[in-house]
Amino acid sequence: MPSAETRFSKLSRRKLVVIAAVLLVLVGIVVVAVQREVTSRRLVAAAISRPTAPSRPPLTRAEETYVQALWPIHGAVERSAARMSLGQIFYVTKDLAGTELKVRVDEALTTYQRAAGQLRALEPPPSLQRAHADYTAAVGLFERSAVEVLKMFDDGRDDHMRIAYPLGQEAADKIREIGGKFWPHEFPPN
Amino acid sequence: MRGRILRVVSAFAAVAALGLLVNAGALRADDDRNNDGNKGNRNDDGGSRPGQTIPPQTLPQGFESHSDLAHDASQSRHAAQYSAWVVESSRFMRVPFRSFMPDRGDKPTVNLPVNLGIIKAANGDITLYDSGWKQLSYIYDWQFPSCCWHPIREQMTKIGLDPNRVKRIIIGHGHWDHAGQLSEFPNATLYVQKEELKQIDFFLAYPLQFNDGHIHAVNTVERHSYSNRQDLLNGGGTQQPPPNQGCARSPVCGYPPQTLQEIFGKVLHGKAQIIDGRHVVDDGLIIHPAFRGHTYGSQLLQVNTAIGQLVFGSDTYSSWEGIRDWNVANIQQTDTIQQMLAYEKCYALTSATPLSADKRSGSYNQCIAAHEPNSYTPDYPITANWWNVPTGNCSRAAELVLSNGESTHVPAVPNRVYCENEVPPPQHPVPTYEK
Repeated sequence: MPSAETRFSKLSRRKLVVIAAVLLVLVGIVVVAVQREVTSRRLVAAAISRPTAPSRPPLTRAEETYVQALWPIHGAVERSAARMSLGQIFYVTKDLAGTELKVRVDEALTTYQRAAGQLRALEPPPSLQRAHADYTAAVGLFERSAVEVLKMFDDGRDDHMRIAYPLGQEAADKIREIGGKFWPHEFPPN
Repeated sequence: MRGRILRVVSAFAAVAALGLLVNAGALRADDDRNNDGNKGNRNDDGGSRPGQTIPPQTLPQGFESHSDLAHDASQSRHAAQYSAWVVESSRFMRVPFRSFMPDRGDKPTVNLPVNLGIIKAANGDITLYDSGWKQLSYIYDWQFPSCCWHPIREQMTKIGLDPNRVKRIIIGHGHWDHAGQLSEFPNATLYVQKEELKQIDFFLAYPLQFNDGHIHAVNTVERHSYSNRQDLLNGGGTQQPPPNQGCARSPVCGYPPQTLQEIFGKVLHGKAQIIDGRHVVDDGLIIHPAFRGHTYGSQLLQVNTAIGQLVFGSDTYSSWEGIRDWNVANIQQTDTIQQMLAYEKCYALTSATPLSADKRSGSYNQCIAAHEPNSYTPDYPITANWWNVPTGNCSRAAELVLSNGESTHVPAVPNRVYCENEVPPPQHPVPTYEK
């Protein structure tokens, strides 16, 4: 029968072996993790070597003033354009009466005409004159689109919507492009 | 000792017996059809099921009971099978994590792919689930820049799929980053929920300003204006000026006139199906409503494949980890409960393919997410077989499943080096509708 001292020293030795093994495993994990981290960082650093787009320079005071003045006009134009598109969808699906669509298109036309007047009153700085001209042209396209749709209430021919459609699409593309430059957060990730 | 064990066992038994008694009269969601005797009364063209009990404040056409879903899951096993891929339309870069998943935020920012589904039938016809962004260079001017956009038609060609075979586009919802290239496929039929269009129309008149603008939203705070996440959560940071947060506070955020006009183009040219709830698109392809799972008219797509049912979820399933762990993600016009119920729909529809022992396949692994940050890595197992689209501006593709003897589209030596490219590609002409 082993003495108490022998049993104790055996236990201590076992404990020591276990602790050493645990320590070894822990050190191993740390080494592997560090190695993996370094390798993956190197890989990412190597991978992200493509160029990035230059960030937009800050607007000048004159540009900022113009962009701020355009914002409410832009909101009204967008809302009318959206209501016109949806109104025509619901008209085609027979969920909206012709008279109700006419009210929407009349309202949209009024908005576009008002917007055209407001745009004429703006004085864009030289750097934004092209964007201003493009935006004004887009509003003109929306206006022509509304006038075309309204013709169907005179002659009863729905194909006026087909003639109006590409005008509205071009206008919508243009204001999206300009709007994206002036208000980059208008449509955030969603 | 024995006495103590006996006491513990008795206590457990008493609790179990009490549970049984209480539960006996409980109404379970999947009992609906048994309750009203409406079993099997299914309208395959969508719409409500007469006489069926539905939860309060729920549109009848938006409701599907567990037994409805189980029926679809089991029936589809005998239906036509499809091959499926996802491609990355674009990638949102460095988005604050908590604006995407409020309960997570493991890292301060996250890159979010914008995945769309490509589903190919045995006869070669293709159905798209979502149509990505309609890209113009301005997207790259963001403070949150985007990466990697590439025209979807070119992406398809470069991974060996014919874009001229696209017959249908089913949009999970109508947001600009998911319904953006509709006009690239003038001959394809669009499927969209009527509820999606109705809610946009209604909320166009919604007021943006309340309480002098004191409503606080995480994603309207200026970047770098707060010191850390806790500061942000405590209301720290500077709010962006009004024009920049206009959309963020509107329930119809995400529907620019450009996207709506494209949807109108489809309707005008007789290339749209405005549907109302569940809808069988074809043998093995079923649309399921997920109203308010992300937007008011969100919809899922169940696809029968050689590995069981896949369920594409667009932004209702923004995060696959969210589905796995029951965390909400990308809350927009979302009712949290509805998002969870939509997660549950995927569990129900994929229930015939149980989770594998290693938890790498089956069940929730077959829920296809639009913005899962782990996409195109082994951490999102179903997208693990990925590669960079050749000359595709760093956009990625993944082969999810092959059926009907379809050969793999993954190159023999796939390029799997992660890359980013924030320089916009040149613009290109858009095809027009046939006269």
